[in-house]
Amino acid sequence: MKLNLILFFVLIVCALTTVNFTHLTRNSFAELDKESKKTLDLKDQQTMLRIEESSESRIEIIEKKAKQKLDMYIPSRKEKKVIIR
Amino acid sequence: MIKIKSRKEYFELSRARRRIVLILMLGMFLVLFAQAIKLAAFEKDKLQKESRQRQHRALDLFPYRGKILDRNGSLLAESTPVYSIMADAAIVNFKDTDPIVQAELNEQKKQLANLLKLSTKDLNKNLKDRNKRNIPLRKNISPDTKIKIMALKISGISSNKIYKRFYPENGPVAHVVGFTGSDGVGQEGIEMLMNKKLAGEKGKIINRIDKNRRVVGEVQQIKLPKDGEDIRLTIDLRLQNAAYNALRKAVEKHEAISGSAVLLDAKTGEVLAMTNYPSFNPNGYNKVGDFIKNRAVTDVFEPGSTMKPISLAAALERKVVTIDTIIDTGKGEYRYEGKLIHDTHAHGEIAVKDVIKVSSNIGSAKISEKVSSNNLAAMYRKFGYGIKTGINFPGEVSGSVRKHTKWKKIDHSRASYGYGMNSTLIQTAQAYTVFANEGKLKPISLIKKDDLKISKKVLSSKTTKDMLLMLESVTDADGGTAPKAKVYGYRVAGKTGTTRKYINGEYAKDKYIGTFVGLGPVSNPRFVMAIMIDEPLVEKGYSGGTLAGPVFSRVMSKAFEWYSIEADGLELKDTQNKKEAYADKTKL
Repeated sequence: MKLNLILFFVLIVCALTTVNFTHLTRNSFAELDKESKKTLDLKDQQTMLRIEESSESRIEIIEKKAKQKLDMYIPSRKEKKVIIR
Repeated sequence: MIKIKSRKEYFELSRARRRIVLILMLGMFLVLFAQAIKLAAFEKDKLQKESRQRQHRALDLFPYRGKILDRNGSLLAESTPVYSIMADAAIVNFKDTDPIVQAELNEQKKQLANLLKLSTKDLNKNLKDRNKRNIPLRKNISPDTKIKIMALKISGISSNKIYKRFYPENGPVAHVVGFTGSDGVGQEGIEMLMNKKLAGEKGKIINRIDKNRRVVGEVQQIKLPKDGEDIRLTIDLRLQNAAYNALRKAVEKHEAISGSAVLLDAKTGEVLAMTNYPSFNPNGYNKVGDFIKNRAVTDVFEPGSTMKPISLAAALERKVVTIDTIIDTGKGEYRYEGKLIHDTHAHGEIAVKDVIKVSSNIGSAKISEKVSSNNLAAMYRKFGYGIKTGINFPGEVSGSVRKHTKWKKIDHSRASYGYGMNSTLIQTAQAYTVFANEGKLKPISLIKKDDLKISKKVLSSKTTKDMLLMLESVTDADGGTAPKAKVYGYRVAGKTGTTRKYINGEYAKDKYIGTFVGLGPVSNPRFVMAIMIDEPLVEKGYSGGTLAGPVFSRVMSKAFEWYSIEADGLELKDTQNKKEAYADKTKL
């Protein structure tokens, strides 16, 4: 009788533990899934930023912006001065 | 009267029945036992697999395809997320009895149609069949547009994310980078050549699922996807664009069919630019048209006069002539073995060093007569003709130099000025690395690596020096064939080539290929560039110098500027103050 009671108690504990761990695992899985999606989204964002960076760093764009914003221009041959070392 | 069976009689009868029942039961047990053995022993694997399939779901995890970058890290190819917009016709509803709500729905429909770039009529047509639950309204929508569409919050409209290869640089690098098919596998260019490295490895995740096939968690097994490797090319995007733009200008100006250009770093053999015009848009691979091939490596042509320096170098190496030996080119016509060899102008008696400057076919033929066929053909092979460059580009051909034992005397002469043999443009460019590297042929590469590249000694330093000066004279305004190839402030050298196209077994009368192969600066060559323009309109000029010379000049001037190459073609105006110089050696 005593042994049966102990075994019954162990059974209850094991059952509760199983339920609890299943719940925890599901939570962790949901979290992992969420984080994986976030990683994917961040990767996508990084890709878009890289494309933007590549289009903004084109030499024509830089020259255009230098001309418009900084009033810079490519010097003519007459204006070029070569320094001989 | 009913006879009551005695106990004995009853059991005797019952025993018979019992036996029948027993036999039946035994039979049933035997069947069950046999079935159990069958399932446990013979169908174990199959059943276990089925069981796993019912409880688990395997999902492929796709890796990111690697990027393709230029030598400075500029993006040439990248996988980007794009979206397909789907509609469930049973749910989407743009009708309401309330006129105010109806007006709102009409506005919503109009906005959706605008974002999808469809007319409202086409949108209605798509959504007409209410039984269709998964109608693709538009594919390849950008993330921004997808966000705007989903912000409309129309029930029944959903989106699917897929990854598509995007080529931000479009036409100028299309032939080098290539493209992938709809399955994401490389179809052309580097995408094809490096497909395995770029693709990476798929991963796998196995989830436990419930009876409704919902994932309930518990990852059973996991193999992480291995993202594809990034590939860094030796291409310099700035120079690639400069070469493409200069090439386009030349092809359009001369109404030619096409043009190709290759720019090499003479010191390392790296390909800095390799472009063709017309090109194609790799972002729309189903519309690539006829100009899909990288003609700089896949198409052969007779190299023409660009072979003369190599023939002459063979003669100088064999010491059968010196640069001052006089060659009589007569009145521009020379009959040899029953065939007439022409020059464009009569040059009379000229020194060997001027044969290259004026590009005399007769001079070249007469010099090559002094070299044996064996030695001449061997020299061509040493320069890389008839052998693949080692760049391993898909579709690369080796060109051909016929076996010298099969040469007739006239073949020997014709070979000296580049007829009766063929080569690719990249081979021609590689051959000229010999003149830029003190007589050493550089192995060329398109993918950036740090491995050691071993050059092959082809010419002596003395011959190379002589050849370089002869090649420089080609760009002389005074009698050279390519004054338009000059670059302000720098000494450049090169050789023009103008060959008739060989079509259907004969040389076409008015169809030419104009080439120019050059290098610079002469004092310490850093770049080698080969340009080829195919079939220009004869009335607009067809010589290599006229067609390709300006392309060389434009691209080289940019290359010198961007790589900070020291100017070696400046002449000091003020000799007292040696710190400043203004003008170039020869005015353009």
